[in-house]
Amino acid sequence: MPAGKHKSRSMRRVYTKLTGSKVVIHYKKRKPSKATCAVCGAALSGVPRERPYKMQTMAKTKKRPSRPYGGVLCSKCMREKIKNV
Amino acid sequence: MFEIGRLCVKIAGRDAGLKCIVVEVIDSNYVLIDGQTRRRKCNVKHLEPLDKVLKVKKGLAHEDVVKELKKQGIEVKEKIKRSKRTKEAKTEEKAEIKKEITKKQKTLKPKKQKRPEKKKEKTPAKPKKAEKKAKPESKPKKTVVKKAEAKPKKTPVKKAKAKPKAKKTTKASKTKVKTKKK
Repeated sequence: MPAGKHKSRSMRRVYTKLTGSKVVIHYKKRKPSKATCAVCGAALSGVPRERPYKMQTMAKTKKRPSRPYGGVLCSKCMREKIKNV
Repeated sequence: MFEIGRLCVKIAGRDAGLKCIVVEVIDSNYVLIDGQTRRRKCNVKHLEPLDKVLKVKKGLAHEDVVKELKKQGIEVKEKIKRSKRTKEAKTEEKAEIKKEITKKQKTLKPKKQKRPEKKKEKTPAKPKKAEKKAKPESKPKKTVVKKAEAKPKKTPVKKAKAKPKAKKTTKASKTKVKTKKK
């Protein structure tokens, strides 16, 4: 039986295999929502979906695409913005 | 549309938003560009043409491209290439840093020598301290007297308190012994 605090689904369940063919449930915190484009609201690619403590350890180049407005606008909206200027 | 000398803005990639001119037409889809961007082959879809076409020869060198763009009021920032540091270069750098540190320490040492001179100035002042010390010597005598008076007063009280306790314990111990004997 899970402990009382684990009965609610606020934590995500991860099944892990131990040595000796034992399967155990590990309870982990859920990931934050995906990063979205500021104009059209589409999900951004190239932006990892991790908890802040893990984002801190990551390199800056791994956290957003290395182009103008990278990590803020999607590529389509960025192109339109450059064209209009 | 993308003839040689066409001014363009790059739309895609890390050079997006930078201006360049077409230097060579490779294909119906690909052109060679140069300018604020890196000199590279580029898909036409990744370029946005502007209304100006410069009169330029085919396959113009980078330096000439920079000059042509300067006439149009577009300045090109030259990137400084970082040379890869070898192990020998690193060791040399470390040695230089050590030398600098040792130099600093040497410069600091003479300052330290000045401090003892100040102490020497203070030495004549020492006798004053000795005088001050002499005064406190008189005070302890008074305190000694007080302590001597205070001590005997306290001790008898303690003894008085201690004695009854001892008696009680002895009585209790005796009784216990008796009980044990029974």
